[in-house]
Amino acid sequence: MATQDDDTLTGAVPDPETEPSPAELAHARRFAELVDKTLAGRTPPAMSADDRTLLEVATVIRATHGSVELAPSKQRQAVEDALHQAMGTVPTSRGAVVPIARAQARRWAPWVVAGASTLVAAAAIALLWLRTPGAGHANPVARRPAVPEEWTSRSADALVGPIARDHAGDASSRIDTIFADRLDGFRTRRLARGGKP
Amino acid sequence: MASEPATTVELELEQEQRLVEEAQKGNLDAMRPILERYAAPLYGTVILPRLGDAASAEEVLRDTLATAVEKIRRFTWQGKSIYPWLRQIAINKVYDVHRQSKRSRKLADAMVHEIPAESDPASHADAQLIADQERRAHRDRIDETMQQLQDRYRTAIELRLIQELSREDCARRLGVTIGTFDVLLFRAVRAFRKHFGERAELGPFGDT
Repeated sequence: MATQDDDTLTGAVPDPETEPSPAELAHARRFAELVDKTLAGRTPPAMSADDRTLLEVATVIRATHGSVELAPSKQRQAVEDALHQAMGTVPTSRGAVVPIARAQARRWAPWVVAGASTLVAAAAIALLWLRTPGAGHANPVARRPAVPEEWTSRSADALVGPIARDHAGDASSRIDTIFADRLDGFRTRRLARGGKP
Repeated sequence: MASEPATTVELELEQEQRLVEEAQKGNLDAMRPILERYAAPLYGTVILPRLGDAASAEEVLRDTLATAVEKIRRFTWQGKSIYPWLRQIAINKVYDVHRQSKRSRKLADAMVHEIPAESDPASHADAQLIADQERRAHRDRIDETMQQLQDRYRTAIELRLIQELSREDCARRLGVTIGTFDVLLFRAVRAFRKHFGERAELGPFGDT
Protein backbone atom coordinates (compact mmCIF):
# COMPACT_ATOMS: atom_id res chain seq x y z
CA MET A 1 0.00 0.00 0.00
CA ALA A 2 1.34 3.38 -0.96
CA THR A 3 1.67 5.80 1.92
CA GLN A 4 1.61 9.55 1.92
CA ASP A 5 5.41 9.55 2.29
CA ASP A 6 5.77 7.38 -0.77
CA ASP A 7 3.82 9.95 -2.78
CA THR A 8 5.50 13.09 -1.45
CA LEU A 9 8.04 13.35 -4.24
CA THR A 10 6.48 11.29 -6.98
CA GLY A 11 2.73 11.67 -6.54
CA ALA A 12 0.51 14.34 -8.09
CA VAL A 13 0.10 17.54 -6.10
CA PRO A 14 -3.57 18.20 -5.21
CA ASP A 15 -5.27 21.52 -5.89
CA PRO A 16 -5.23 24.07 -3.06
CA GLU A 17 -8.90 23.47 -2.32
CA THR A 18 -8.60 19.70 -1.98
CA GLU A 19 -9.30 18.53 1.56
CA PRO A 20 -6.11 17.14 3.13
CA SER A 21 -5.99 13.68 4.64
CA PRO A 22 -4.94 13.36 8.29
CA ALA A 23 -1.61 11.94 7.11
CA GLU A 24 -1.01 14.92 4.84
CA LEU A 25 -1.99 17.32 7.61
CA ALA A 26 0.54 15.70 9.94
CA HIS A 27 3.26 15.71 7.31
CA ALA A 28 2.54 19.32 6.40
CA ARG A 29 2.79 20.36 10.02
CA ARG A 30 6.08 18.49 10.43
CA PHE A 31 7.45 20.18 7.32
CA ALA A 32 6.25 23.59 8.53
CA GLU A 33 8.16 23.07 11.77
CA LEU A 34 11.26 22.11 9.82
CA VAL A 35 10.93 25.33 7.82
CA ASP A 36 10.53 27.26 11.08
CA LYS A 37 13.76 25.81 12.42
CA THR A 38 15.60 26.34 9.17
CA LEU A 39 14.55 29.99 9.00
CA ALA A 40 15.85 30.35 12.55
CA GLY A 41 19.18 28.84 11.48
CA ARG A 42 18.62 25.63 13.44
CA THR A 43 18.12 23.04 10.72
CA PRO A 44 17.84 19.66 12.46
CA PRO A 45 20.44 17.16 11.26
CA ALA A 46 18.03 14.24 11.15
CA MET A 47 14.93 14.14 8.93
CA SER A 48 13.39 11.92 6.30
CA ALA A 49 14.85 11.95 2.78
CA ASP A 50 11.61 13.40 1.42
CA ASP A 51 11.56 16.20 3.96
CA ARG A 52 15.20 16.93 3.24
CA THR A 53 14.51 17.15 -0.47
CA LEU A 54 11.62 19.56 0.07
CA LEU A 55 13.64 21.60 2.55
CA GLU A 56 16.38 21.92 -0.06
CA VAL A 57 13.79 23.31 -2.47
CA ALA A 58 12.81 25.89 0.13
CA THR A 59 16.45 26.78 0.80
CA VAL A 60 17.22 27.20 -2.89
CA ILE A 61 14.26 29.56 -3.29
CA ARG A 62 15.43 31.57 -0.29
CA ALA A 63 19.08 31.58 -1.40
CA THR A 64 18.18 32.77 -4.87
CA HIS A 65 16.31 35.70 -3.38
CA GLY A 66 19.25 36.60 -1.17
CA SER A 67 17.56 35.46 2.03
CA VAL A 68 20.36 33.13 3.04
CA GLU A 69 23.71 34.65 3.84
CA LEU A 70 26.85 33.25 5.33
CA ALA A 71 27.26 34.53 8.88
CA PRO A 72 30.49 36.55 9.32
CA SER A 73 31.68 34.16 12.03
CA LYS A 74 31.16 31.16 9.74
CA GLN A 75 32.91 32.97 6.92
CA ARG A 76 35.93 33.69 9.13
CA GLN A 77 35.94 30.10 10.32
CA ALA A 78 35.82 28.78 6.76
CA VAL A 79 38.76 30.97 5.75
CA GLU A 80 40.80 29.99 8.81
CA ASP A 81 40.01 26.30 8.35
CA ALA A 82 40.99 26.49 4.69
CA LEU A 83 44.31 28.16 5.48
CA HIS A 84 45.02 25.69 8.29
CA GLN A 85 44.09 22.74 6.10
CA ALA A 86 46.28 23.94 3.26
CA MET A 87 49.21 24.58 5.57
CA GLY A 88 48.85 21.24 7.31
CA THR A 89 48.02 22.62 10.73
CA VAL A 90 45.05 21.86 12.95
CA PRO A 91 42.79 24.62 14.26
CA THR A 92 42.51 24.63 18.05
CA SER A 93 38.74 24.76 18.13
CA ARG A 94 35.77 25.55 15.98
CA GLY A 95 34.92 28.63 17.97
CA ALA A 96 38.27 30.29 18.39
CA VAL A 97 39.95 31.73 15.36
CA VAL A 98 43.73 31.45 15.63
CA PRO A 99 45.77 33.95 13.63
CA ILE A 100 47.75 32.10 11.02
CA ALA A 101 51.03 33.74 12.07
CA ARG A 102 50.70 32.21 15.51
CA ALA A 103 49.71 28.91 13.96
CA GLN A 104 52.99 28.91 12.01
CA ALA A 105 54.90 29.37 15.24
CA ARG A 106 52.95 26.52 16.79
CA ARG A 107 53.96 24.32 13.92
CA TRP A 108 57.60 24.51 15.09
CA ALA A 109 56.84 24.21 18.79
CA PRO A 110 57.05 20.37 18.99
CA TRP A 111 60.43 20.40 17.25
CA VAL A 112 61.76 23.05 19.60
CA VAL A 113 60.62 21.05 22.64
CA ALA A 114 62.08 17.82 21.23
CA GLY A 115 65.42 19.52 20.46
CA ALA A 116 65.68 21.08 23.91
CA SER A 117 64.87 17.74 25.57
CA THR A 118 67.57 16.00 23.56
CA LEU A 119 70.15 18.62 24.57
CA VAL A 120 69.26 18.30 28.26
CA ALA A 121 69.46 14.50 28.09
CA ALA A 122 72.86 14.63 26.36
CA ALA A 123 74.19 17.08 28.95
CA ALA A 124 73.02 14.82 31.80
CA ILE A 125 74.72 11.77 30.29
CA ALA A 126 77.96 13.72 29.79
CA LEU A 127 77.83 14.96 33.39
CA LEU A 128 77.35 11.44 34.76
CA TRP A 129 80.22 10.20 32.60
CA LEU A 130 82.58 12.91 33.81
CA ARG A 131 81.69 12.49 37.50
CA THR A 132 82.35 8.71 37.51
CA PRO A 133 85.83 8.13 39.16
CA GLY A 134 88.37 7.06 36.56
CA ALA A 135 85.74 7.12 33.88
CA GLY A 136 87.04 5.85 30.55
CA HIS A 137 90.27 4.53 32.09
CA ALA A 138 89.03 2.14 34.76
CA ASN A 139 90.44 -1.39 34.84
CA PRO A 140 87.45 -3.79 34.76
CA VAL A 141 89.33 -6.34 36.85
CA ALA A 142 89.98 -3.76 39.55
CA ARG A 143 86.27 -3.11 39.94
CA ARG A 144 85.40 -6.78 40.43
CA PRO A 145 84.28 -7.75 43.91
CA ALA A 146 86.95 -9.43 45.98
CA VAL A 147 86.08 -13.16 45.82
CA PRO A 148 88.23 -16.25 45.67
CA GLU A 149 89.52 -17.03 42.22
CA GLU A 150 87.84 -20.44 42.16
CA TRP A 151 84.47 -18.66 42.36
CA THR A 152 85.10 -16.66 39.23
CA SER A 153 84.92 -17.39 35.53
CA ARG A 154 88.48 -18.17 34.42
CA SER A 155 90.54 -19.81 31.73
CA ALA A 156 91.15 -23.57 31.91
CA ASP A 157 94.56 -23.30 30.25
CA ALA A 158 96.43 -23.56 33.53
CA LEU A 159 94.41 -26.63 34.48
CA VAL A 160 94.73 -28.51 31.21
CA GLY A 161 98.10 -27.24 30.07
CA PRO A 162 99.46 -27.60 26.54
CA ILE A 163 97.73 -30.38 24.61
CA ALA A 164 100.11 -32.71 22.85
CA ARG A 165 99.16 -33.73 19.33
CA ASP A 166 98.86 -37.41 20.25
CA HIS A 167 96.39 -36.47 23.06
CA ALA A 168 94.24 -34.22 20.87
CA GLY A 169 91.46 -36.82 20.68
CA ASP A 170 91.31 -37.23 24.45
CA ALA A 171 88.93 -34.30 25.01
CA SER A 172 86.65 -36.18 27.42
CA SER A 173 89.37 -36.55 30.02
CA ARG A 174 90.16 -32.84 29.78
CA ILE A 175 86.49 -32.02 30.21
CA ASP A 176 86.37 -34.32 33.25
CA THR A 177 89.34 -32.47 34.74
CA ILE A 178 87.77 -29.09 34.19
CA PHE A 179 84.39 -30.32 35.51
CA ALA A 180 85.99 -31.71 38.66
CA ASP A 181 87.79 -28.41 39.27
CA ARG A 182 84.67 -26.34 38.84
CA LEU A 183 82.64 -28.72 40.97
CA ASP A 184 85.20 -28.34 43.68
CA GLY A 185 84.82 -24.56 43.57
CA PHE A 186 81.03 -24.90 43.68
CA ARG A 187 81.20 -27.15 46.73
CA THR A 188 83.50 -24.75 48.52
CA ARG A 189 81.11 -21.90 47.91
CA ARG A 190 78.07 -23.92 48.88
CA LEU A 191 79.64 -25.05 52.12
CA ALA A 192 80.69 -21.46 52.88
CA ARG A 193 76.96 -20.52 52.95
CA GLY A 194 76.06 -23.37 55.23
CA GLY A 195 74.73 -25.58 52.47
CA LYS A 196 72.21 -23.03 51.25
CA PRO A 197 72.15 -22.19 47.55
CA MET B 1 25.72 40.80 1.00
CA ALA B 2 26.10 37.40 -0.61
CA SER B 3 25.99 38.63 -4.19
CA GLU B 4 28.33 41.56 -3.71
CA PRO B 5 31.94 40.43 -3.85
CA ALA B 6 33.32 43.83 -2.93
CA THR B 7 31.17 44.97 -0.06
CA THR B 8 33.69 46.32 2.41
CA VAL B 9 37.13 47.03 1.09
CA GLU B 10 37.38 47.46 -2.63
CA LEU B 11 40.35 45.39 -3.66
CA GLU B 12 41.81 46.62 -6.89
CA LEU B 13 42.78 44.08 -9.48
CA GLU B 14 46.41 45.07 -9.05
CA GLN B 15 46.24 44.38 -5.36
CA GLU B 16 44.63 41.02 -6.03
CA GLN B 17 47.39 40.18 -8.48
CA ARG B 18 50.03 41.18 -5.94
CA LEU B 19 48.43 38.98 -3.27
CA VAL B 20 48.21 36.03 -5.64
CA GLU B 21 51.88 36.43 -6.61
CA GLU B 22 52.87 36.65 -2.98
CA ALA B 23 50.92 33.46 -2.22
CA GLN B 24 52.52 31.74 -5.18
CA LYS B 25 55.92 32.58 -3.70
CA GLY B 26 54.99 30.66 -0.57
CA ASN B 27 53.29 33.19 1.69
CA LEU B 28 49.92 31.45 1.81
CA ASP B 29 48.63 33.92 4.37
CA ALA B 30 48.46 36.42 1.50
CA MET B 31 45.40 34.48 0.32
CA ARG B 32 43.45 35.56 3.37
CA PRO B 33 42.04 38.87 1.97
CA ILE B 34 41.09 37.14 -1.27
CA LEU B 35 39.30 34.32 0.53
CA GLU B 36 37.55 36.74 2.86
CA ARG B 37 36.39 38.77 -0.10
CA TYR B 38 34.99 35.91 -2.16
CA ALA B 39 33.72 33.46 0.48
CA ALA B 40 30.27 35.05 0.69
CA PRO B 41 29.53 35.25 -3.07
CA LEU B 42 30.82 31.73 -3.58
CA TYR B 43 28.51 30.50 -0.83
CA GLY B 44 25.47 32.58 -1.73
CA THR B 45 25.49 32.47 -5.53
CA VAL B 46 27.46 29.37 -6.48
CA ILE B 47 27.29 26.69 -3.80
CA LEU B 48 24.08 27.04 -1.80
CA PRO B 49 21.72 27.47 -4.78
CA ARG B 50 23.16 24.25 -6.22
CA LEU B 51 23.02 22.25 -2.99
CA GLY B 52 20.07 23.62 -1.04
CA ASP B 53 21.56 22.51 2.24
CA ALA B 54 23.35 25.09 4.37
CA ALA B 55 25.53 22.63 6.29
CA SER B 56 26.73 20.88 3.13
CA ALA B 57 27.27 24.26 1.48
CA GLU B 58 29.51 25.38 4.32
CA GLU B 59 31.57 22.19 4.00
CA VAL B 60 31.91 22.69 0.27
CA LEU B 61 32.94 26.32 0.80
CA ARG B 62 35.63 25.22 3.24
CA ASP B 63 36.91 22.61 0.80
CA THR B 64 36.82 25.10 -2.05
CA LEU B 65 38.91 27.66 -0.18
CA ALA B 66 41.38 25.01 1.02
CA THR B 67 41.82 23.67 -2.51
CA ALA B 68 42.36 27.20 -3.78
CA VAL B 69 45.15 27.79 -1.25
CA GLU B 70 46.73 24.41 -1.96
CA LYS B 71 46.67 24.90 -5.73
CA ILE B 72 47.40 28.60 -5.93
CA ARG B 73 50.75 27.90 -7.60
CA ARG B 74 48.90 26.37 -10.55
CA PHE B 75 46.81 29.50 -11.08
CA THR B 76 47.89 31.63 -14.02
CA TRP B 77 47.11 35.32 -13.81
CA GLN B 78 45.36 36.45 -16.98
CA GLY B 79 44.61 40.03 -16.11
CA LYS B 80 41.20 39.09 -14.67
CA SER B 81 39.97 38.42 -11.19
CA ILE B 82 40.73 35.10 -9.52
CA TYR B 83 37.00 34.71 -8.84
CA PRO B 84 36.17 32.62 -11.96
CA TRP B 85 38.89 30.18 -10.94
CA LEU B 86 37.48 29.94 -7.41
CA ARG B 87 34.00 29.53 -8.81
CA GLN B 88 35.14 26.71 -11.04
CA ILE B 89 36.64 24.90 -8.05
CA ALA B 90 33.39 25.39 -6.12
CA ILE B 91 31.26 24.00 -8.96
CA ASN B 92 33.51 20.97 -9.22
CA LYS B 93 33.14 20.38 -5.48
CA VAL B 94 29.35 20.68 -5.69
CA TYR B 95 29.37 18.25 -8.57
CA ASP B 96 31.41 15.82 -6.46
CA VAL B 97 28.87 16.07 -3.63
CA HIS B 98 25.98 15.25 -5.95
CA ARG B 99 27.90 12.43 -7.55
CA GLN B 100 28.91 10.94 -4.20
CA SER B 101 25.45 11.21 -2.69
CA LYS B 102 23.88 9.92 -5.91
CA ARG B 103 20.92 12.09 -5.05
CA SER B 104 20.45 13.34 -8.56
CA ARG B 105 22.06 11.82 -11.58
CA LYS B 106 20.20 14.28 -13.75
CA LEU B 107 21.67 17.20 -11.87
CA ALA B 108 25.19 15.84 -11.98
CA ASP B 109 24.94 15.25 -15.70
CA ALA B 110 23.41 18.65 -16.30
CA MET B 111 26.11 20.41 -14.34
CA VAL B 112 28.81 18.90 -16.51
CA HIS B 113 27.31 20.78 -19.43
CA GLU B 114 26.61 23.85 -17.37
CA ILE B 115 30.20 24.40 -16.19
CA PRO B 116 31.87 25.51 -19.43
CA ALA B 117 28.93 27.69 -20.40
CA GLU B 118 28.87 29.62 -17.15
CA SER B 119 32.54 29.80 -16.32
CA ASP B 120 34.13 30.98 -19.52
CA PRO B 121 36.61 33.59 -18.21
CA ALA B 122 36.56 35.59 -21.42
CA SER B 123 32.84 36.25 -21.12
CA HIS B 124 33.09 37.94 -17.73
CA ALA B 125 34.68 41.20 -16.84
CA ASP B 126 35.06 40.74 -13.12
CA ALA B 127 33.86 38.95 -10.04
CA GLN B 128 31.04 41.38 -9.39
CA LEU B 129 29.59 40.86 -12.81
CA ILE B 130 29.89 37.09 -12.64
CA ALA B 131 28.13 36.95 -9.29
CA ASP B 132 25.38 39.32 -10.46
CA GLN B 133 24.83 37.38 -13.66
CA GLU B 134 24.69 34.14 -11.79
CA ARG B 135 22.24 35.50 -9.24
CA ARG B 136 20.00 36.84 -12.00
CA ALA B 137 20.09 33.53 -13.87
CA HIS B 138 19.10 31.60 -10.75
CA ARG B 139 16.36 34.06 -9.95
CA ASP B 140 14.97 33.96 -13.49
CA ARG B 141 14.71 30.19 -13.31
CA ILE B 142 12.99 30.38 -9.94
CA ASP B 143 10.62 33.12 -11.07
CA GLU B 144 9.67 31.26 -14.23
CA THR B 145 8.81 28.24 -12.17
CA MET B 146 6.84 30.35 -9.71
CA GLN B 147 4.73 31.67 -12.58
CA GLN B 148 3.65 28.11 -13.35
CA LEU B 149 2.26 27.57 -9.86
CA GLN B 150 -1.33 28.14 -8.84
CA ASP B 151 -1.85 31.57 -7.26
CA ARG B 152 -2.31 30.33 -3.71
CA TYR B 153 0.77 28.16 -3.90
CA ARG B 154 2.82 31.02 -5.32
CA THR B 155 1.57 33.34 -2.60
CA ALA B 156 2.33 30.79 0.12
CA ILE B 157 5.94 30.51 -1.05
CA GLU B 158 6.37 34.27 -1.42
CA LEU B 159 5.01 35.02 2.04
CA ARG B 160 6.78 32.27 3.94
CA LEU B 161 10.07 31.66 2.10
CA ILE B 162 10.83 34.99 0.44
CA GLN B 163 9.27 37.54 2.79
CA GLU B 164 9.85 35.15 5.70
CA LEU B 165 6.63 36.06 7.51
CA SER B 166 5.61 33.86 10.41
CA ARG B 167 3.15 31.03 9.84
CA GLU B 168 0.53 32.96 11.78
CA ASP B 169 0.97 36.06 9.61
CA CYS B 170 0.91 34.02 6.43
CA ALA B 171 -2.29 32.26 7.50
CA ARG B 172 -3.87 35.61 8.39
CA ARG B 173 -2.94 37.10 5.01
CA LEU B 174 -4.50 34.14 3.21
CA GLY B 175 -7.52 34.02 5.51
CA VAL B 176 -6.96 30.41 6.57
CA THR B 177 -6.00 28.53 9.70
CA ILE B 178 -2.37 27.81 10.44
CA GLY B 179 -2.96 24.11 9.76
CA THR B 180 -4.40 24.91 6.35
CA PHE B 181 -1.51 27.23 5.59
CA ASP B 182 0.92 24.46 6.51
CA VAL B 183 -0.79 22.21 3.96
CA LEU B 184 -0.69 24.99 1.35
CA LEU B 185 3.03 25.54 1.82
CA PHE B 186 3.74 21.82 1.82
CA ARG B 187 1.88 21.36 -1.45
CA ALA B 188 3.37 24.54 -2.89
CA VAL B 189 6.94 23.34 -2.35
CA ARG B 190 6.09 19.94 -3.79
CA ALA B 191 4.50 21.60 -6.84
CA PHE B 192 7.49 23.93 -7.23
CA ARG B 193 9.87 21.00 -7.19
CA LYS B 194 7.86 19.17 -9.84
CA HIS B 195 7.68 22.15 -12.19
CA PHE B 196 11.29 23.16 -11.65
CA GLY B 197 12.55 19.64 -12.29
CA GLU B 198 10.41 19.18 -15.40
CA ARG B 199 11.39 22.53 -16.86
CA ALA B 200 15.13 22.59 -16.51
CA GLU B 201 16.16 19.25 -15.04
CA LEU B 202 18.44 21.36 -12.93
CA GLY B 203 18.57 22.16 -9.27
CA PRO B 204 19.46 20.20 -6.18
CA PHE B 205 16.22 18.30 -6.05
CA GLY B 206 16.15 15.95 -9.02
CA ASP B 207 14.57 12.54 -8.83
CA THR B 208 16.12 10.34 -6.21
